[in-house]
Amino acid sequence: MDSSVHLDHVMMKFDDFVAVQQTDLKIESGEFFSFLGPSGCGKTTLLNIISGFIEPTEGTVHIGGQDMRRVPANKRPTSMIFQNLALFPLMTVAENIEFGLEVRGVRKAERRKVSERLLNLVALPECRDKRISDLSGGQKQRIAIARALAVEPRVLLLDEPLSALDLKLRQHMRTELKDIQRKTGITFIYITHDQGEALTMSDRVAVMSAGKLQQVADPMTLYRAPATPFVASFVGENNRIEGKVVAIDGTQVTLDCGDLGRLSGHTQDSLNLGDSALLFIRPELLTRRTSMSDNCFMAQIRELNFEGAYLMIEATPLKSQQRLRIQLLSDLNLDDVATGNLIIFGFAAEDAMIMSGARDV
Amino acid sequence: MSSHSILKWGIRFYITLFFLYLFTPLIIMSAATFNDSRFPTISPWRGTTFKWFEELWNDSGMWQALGNSAIIAAGVLVIAVPIGVACALFLSTYRGNGKNFLYGLMLSPLLTPGVIIGISTLIFWRSLGVSGGIFLTMIAQTTFIAAYVMLMILARLQRFDRTLENAAFSLGASHFQVFRRILLPYLMPAILSAAVIAFLQSFENYNTTLFVKGHDTTLTIYIASKVRTGLTPAVNALGLILILITILFAAAYELKRRHEARQSQINPETDSEPISR
Amino acid sequence: MFKQLSERFGPWVSIGIFLLMFLWLVMLVILPQILMIDYSLRPNLPPSQIGGPDDQYTLKNYATLANNAIHQSIFFKTIWSSVLVTFCTLLLCYPLAYYLAKVATPRQAALCVLLLIIPFWINEILRTFSWFIILSYRGPLNALLLSLGFIDRPIRFLSGDGGVIVGMVYAYILFMIFPLYNAIESLDSNQIKAARNLGSGWIRTHYRIIIPHAKPGIATGCIMVFMLSAGSYAVPALLGSPGSRWFTQIIYNWFFEGGDWNQGAAYAFILLLLCIGFIVLMMRLFKVGLGDIAR
Repeated sequence: MDSSVHLDHVMMKFDDFVAVQQTDLKIESGEFFSFLGPSGCGKTTLLNIISGFIEPTEGTVHIGGQDMRRVPANKRPTSMIFQNLALFPLMTVAENIEFGLEVRGVRKAERRKVSERLLNLVALPECRDKRISDLSGGQKQRIAIARALAVEPRVLLLDEPLSALDLKLRQHMRTELKDIQRKTGITFIYITHDQGEALTMSDRVAVMSAGKLQQVADPMTLYRAPATPFVASFVGENNRIEGKVVAIDGTQVTLDCGDLGRLSGHTQDSLNLGDSALLFIRPELLTRRTSMSDNCFMAQIRELNFEGAYLMIEATPLKSQQRLRIQLLSDLNLDDVATGNLIIFGFAAEDAMIMSGARDV
Repeated sequence: MSSHSILKWGIRFYITLFFLYLFTPLIIMSAATFNDSRFPTISPWRGTTFKWFEELWNDSGMWQALGNSAIIAAGVLVIAVPIGVACALFLSTYRGNGKNFLYGLMLSPLLTPGVIIGISTLIFWRSLGVSGGIFLTMIAQTTFIAAYVMLMILARLQRFDRTLENAAFSLGASHFQVFRRILLPYLMPAILSAAVIAFLQSFENYNTTLFVKGHDTTLTIYIASKVRTGLTPAVNALGLILILITILFAAAYELKRRHEARQSQINPETDSEPISR
Repeated sequence: MFKQLSERFGPWVSIGIFLLMFLWLVMLVILPQILMIDYSLRPNLPPSQIGGPDDQYTLKNYATLANNAIHQSIFFKTIWSSVLVTFCTLLLCYPLAYYLAKVATPRQAALCVLLLIIPFWINEILRTFSWFIILSYRGPLNALLLSLGFIDRPIRFLSGDGGVIVGMVYAYILFMIFPLYNAIESLDSNQIKAARNLGSGWIRTHYRIIIPHAKPGIATGCIMVFMLSAGSYAVPALLGSPGSRWFTQIIYNWFFEGGDWNQGAAYAFILLLLCIGFIVLMMRLFKVGLGDIAR
């Protein structure tokens, strides 16, 4: 069954405010797809457009190849899991799960079969006749999933459903969600501002900012090859250094970064001499050096945080105000790494990414 | 004794006085029922009797008035509750121009003296050829009782989580199914409370009813007319019965309200304030 | 308007909502008031002449009040008595409301509220009637005062305005207590503690912290009690005498004894204006909006 979602020139305006800029996107059948972005980036609006709660100002949504124009939310082959779960408090667990079938006129015996199957799927068969208020947070979560699955949607829409849970449960539910998705083969569209959730569960992630899709890629690509300065700093940790282009050699570019001196990296942008540009280097790709050479700088250690497998360092390059974060494996010799000490750090040019300053947001 | 404890005892004394003030008149009135005196009083006490209940029982006028009151109250309940619910639903949904004006308009019957509601209803419906009587009394009382219902329903609606409606909708329910299966069950406790209040308000209304009753008499009108002409302790007997019924109602209503409040963990005092006029 | 509703409730329920709402507002709230005002501006004519040449708008019905000294004095007495009733109920209720909201334990408060609700639900006529018994010439109050030797012979309590005012305070006191209680209850108790901690005395704490916070409740209570007092027919009818008539009684007489509905409508409209004026005054005085009232 085709359960792809196709956004074609979708745009959303509220009065003068553009909540979602023109977007083209194809989410494949059976994919676990996430929209990742800070609050107010337009991801929830996009979800509401797919679910049919709001009509886009422009463009069309196709689900399973069918045009969804003028198809209201209750007629779409989607179902949604809400941030606050929105379980019906006056109904029992079973009534909640069976609600979608009940309103479709499915007979009681049939409904019961479905709810029993789903309660087994989410491993809560004993909760069938409980009241919603008697469930724990994690149980509510699973009942919400079961309820949404009961109507056999082609696409399941999840609006930050884990945000109300505590850390441990949240991490557990990630595996469980991924598991359910694999078992059912339904397309999952997941909304979150938590990159950990997006990167661990998703097949592909769309990073959004200011109503615009910044990059759509698998988690590995997002991390290794961010397409925009926003993605580079939003996904994972990154050090961001500003400079001016002073030399270009193919994809290798050298910047004059003021007090940090000249630093090189590679780029995919077309840059000209004198352009302002940004250099991104991840904390774990910065290493200790014994002597100054290319792509090196001297920095004073401000703060040390021991995090088990590695040591997180905050350091300020000499004469500069900038704070850089450096991650060192803790099995290295770290005797002279102490607050106040001066240490030389460096990185390989192929590990650093340079982007045009004009694309900064 | 410190000034703090003087204050504390002072306020206790005051509270006691206040409740004495509140209940003594009702107790005196009730006690007078049992006094074997032609005029309702407790001083002097001329011996204990139950004959006034008998006289009340045999008073056909009282039964007639009671019947009218019950019919009117039932009618008001049937008209005013749907109106109040509809207006509350409107106010909780509509966002835009004129909302404040409409809200003010809906509140206005509560801020209008009852006699004026009676008078304006009488004048308006006479121009349509309807004169005073049971029907017009229902209409006049509905004018302000619907506003009470509206306030009570609105109070509950304000705590309603609208994502529940979206959830039901996204599960495939039609608009009507969402209304019928999600919103209405949620509102039911408030609707029932409002129905009880509407019934009682109608039953005890005097000022409005006085102008629109025509030749029909309600129980409250009957009591007032008895006080002014032909007063005997039979009126007290009726009062005592009404008080006992009211206490029963009030206690049951209050217990139910608190029970619900505890279940939904909502502050019982803000849920629905009992109001009468 | 309709779109917003039908997006939530669907077309049929929305049509129902609009029908009920407009039927109520138009047929029961707006049109009757408009027709009452129209009536008050027309002369009282026999049915045959209605719509005839004499049926023209006139202020004659309003001039009646200006020219009738007795009606005027009753009108002003109604005003000041209602103000007095309002003031007395406020004074009596404030300490209790404060105690219930901030001093009493939750259990005590719950019990007290229940005890307040019971008389609140009891018929206004019955509550008034109970004072009729107490205040009557051969009633328990006179008997008590006689036996204690405070008076030599019974007092006719029911012949002046005193009885009416006492009865009204009793009948409407609960319309003051609940708004006050709700308003004071919503004040964060820490504010009171903070004020005390900063060295503010009891009077200053009330004057500067609690009363300003309770303004909407005070305004609501005052508006309700004034409106009920000025518009009361039951209490003066039961506890008053021919010598202590209330403005509503004059209105009633125009309708059912004088048979001049137009004149009655004019007086009724004056009463309505008085109440609106009081509401506006209270809203200005306490700087509250309509949204804060009747909460």
